[in-house]
Amino acid sequence: MRVLIVEDEAPLRVQLAACLRQQGYAVDEAEDGKVGLYTGQEYSIDVAVVDLGLPHLSGMQLIQHWRAAGRRFPILILTARGRWQDKVAGLEAGADDYLVKPFELEELLARLRALLRRAEGWARSVLHCEPVRLDLSAQRVTVNGNAVELTSYEYRLLEYLMLHAGQVVSKTELTDHLYEEDFDRDSNVLEVLVGRIRRKLDPTQTLNPIETLRGRGYRVRLQRAPA
Amino acid sequence: MRRYAAAVIAFVSSVRPPERVASLQTRLLLAASLVLLAFLGLTGLSLERAFRNSTLAAIQERLQAQVYMLLGAAELDEAGRFTLPEELPEARFSTPGSGLYAQVVGRNGKMLWRSPSLLGKVLPSWPAPPAPGKTRFVIAAPAGTTPVFVLGFTVNWEISTDQYRRYTFYVAQSQQPFQEQLSSFRQHLWGWLLVPALLLLLVQGLILRWSLKPLRQVAQQLKAIEAGEQTELSGPYPRELLPLTDNLNALLHRSQRHLERYRQALGNLAHSLKTPLAVLRNALEQPTPAAEIRDILRQQVHGMNQTVAYQLQRAAAAGPLALAKPLALEPIARRVMASLAKVYADRSLQFEVQVEPALVIHGDEGDFMEILGNLGDNACKWSRSRVILRAHGAAAPRGRMTILDMEDDGPGIPTEQVPLILSRGGRIDPSVAGHGIGLAVVRDLVEEVYRGTLEIGSSPSGGARMRVCLPS
Repeated sequence: MRVLIVEDEAPLRVQLAACLRQQGYAVDEAEDGKVGLYTGQEYSIDVAVVDLGLPHLSGMQLIQHWRAAGRRFPILILTARGRWQDKVAGLEAGADDYLVKPFELEELLARLRALLRRAEGWARSVLHCEPVRLDLSAQRVTVNGNAVELTSYEYRLLEYLMLHAGQVVSKTELTDHLYEEDFDRDSNVLEVLVGRIRRKLDPTQTLNPIETLRGRGYRVRLQRAPA
Repeated sequence: MRRYAAAVIAFVSSVRPPERVASLQTRLLLAASLVLLAFLGLTGLSLERAFRNSTLAAIQERLQAQVYMLLGAAELDEAGRFTLPEELPEARFSTPGSGLYAQVVGRNGKMLWRSPSLLGKVLPSWPAPPAPGKTRFVIAAPAGTTPVFVLGFTVNWEISTDQYRRYTFYVAQSQQPFQEQLSSFRQHLWGWLLVPALLLLLVQGLILRWSLKPLRQVAQQLKAIEAGEQTELSGPYPRELLPLTDNLNALLHRSQRHLERYRQALGNLAHSLKTPLAVLRNALEQPTPAAEIRDILRQQVHGMNQTVAYQLQRAAAAGPLALAKPLALEPIARRVMASLAKVYADRSLQFEVQVEPALVIHGDEGDFMEILGNLGDNACKWSRSRVILRAHGAAAPRGRMTILDMEDDGPGIPTEQVPLILSRGGRIDPSVAGHGIGLAVVRDLVEEVYRGTLEIGSSPSGGARMRVCLPS
């Protein structure tokens, strides 16, 4: 998942970026509204964290510009002023949720996860495609109730595919959304990871949870369980 | 306080246009004096005119009487010539230069008789004879002669049955006595008008001073407020000034309360930050194990965060606005509820807003968003499926009040836990996100800033109902 952080206070931005990278997110950083606007429009962002008090272009204006340009990714606003007036204004401008500074990193991560799954139409924090369950909060995967041990890389890939269950996800999209700029796009890391995930989810090769569509990408072909 | 009062005063005085304008007292005095003078002047002129006319009428009447007297005295002698006796009943006709003159002319302007008083006198030319039976009154004052009033009267004198002679009698009177009379009247008249005029002006000035006294009092008191000698305009003030003084006082009180809130918030902030700071410092100075320091840090940071958030939100309240236009509540309610719906999109809650469309509030939009937002946030956290906001006006012991109800269908709040959740940082369930200051902020806003009440009760569906009653 690719997160854009637009925050002018360097210590907080660096801290947030480090925390999110550690959680397996690909992170873009912007120190003011103008850079943020450009990054949000040019890159495949899954979710943005925007501070309301930014130099050059306020957070509120930034959100309005993105929304006017048709950018639909969810936005979480950070505000130092906890007044409801500011929250309402931010949400009306096009943000999806808010956090009042100072906040706990756990809280931020939970909000981001919720925004990401809501954007893909998941109502609960457990993605359920019978018989696979992926718990976004606990970052745990089970098949028929049995825990499956995944590495961090594997988990992130499966999480992305599960969030978009039923949709074809191209390799370019996967590299765009899961990896930072310096990722080697020509390597066959993705094929290797998908192969490993398949074996771990489906050791008996009866389930075939992820199908490969030649030249187009991958798709989780399990049905989403009704909420 | 002084700075606020000065700001208010600066605002009030900035309403006045920058160029110097005449004071109210000057304007009123000037206008009233002009009206008074015009009135008295016109009165004087018309009195003078009336006097002059009536005097002239009297003179004309007297001259007419003289003509009749002459007519009565005139006779024809045996030769048929017109004669008047030597001794006339009016002695002034016989005295030269007496001021009363007469002459009689015949049909062709032929002089028949001149009064002895005309001896050596040059009078302005006599007017043309009027038609028989008619009189003609002329005020003649050509240069170089004595101005006179002349009355001419023509008669047809019947000599025998079908023979008539025409005579024109002229009587003239010097204008001098008339002019003297007129000027003496004039002097008296204007003298008598001037005295009451001056008296009236004086009284009027006193009335104005008295009437404008409340305004001067306002100005003086504003100066005193500016100087920090008093905190509000103290009455009593006349009815016409009450809107001004009441609003000024409201403005002053508001800034005063604002300042007090800021001071209080700052004081509380300083006070309540010192304890955690002391704890942190002690932890640093003592050889405390890292894990324990972490725990202490977490606890204290949490506490400080709560304190800062709570006190700042308290201080940010604007409070009831004295001069602001009333705000419609419904749009505010809808905006807040729409925002909550967005934030709690996950929960697929049903939001209902039942607010009387005409309901208005007298206060700051931000404050009401704060109240509704925090109540709504709380309701959303506990609700199972529905959050309802109702608002309506109701009769209060004094005037009217506005009642806001935020209802949820959650588990409700047991009575014994009410004090806990209203306290700062009090949370029934620590696993539900939040600082636990939302309701404390609402209570402060409602009870301390808007002088209303916050009640916690049960909704019809068994959940909680937060009721805010605000005096209008």
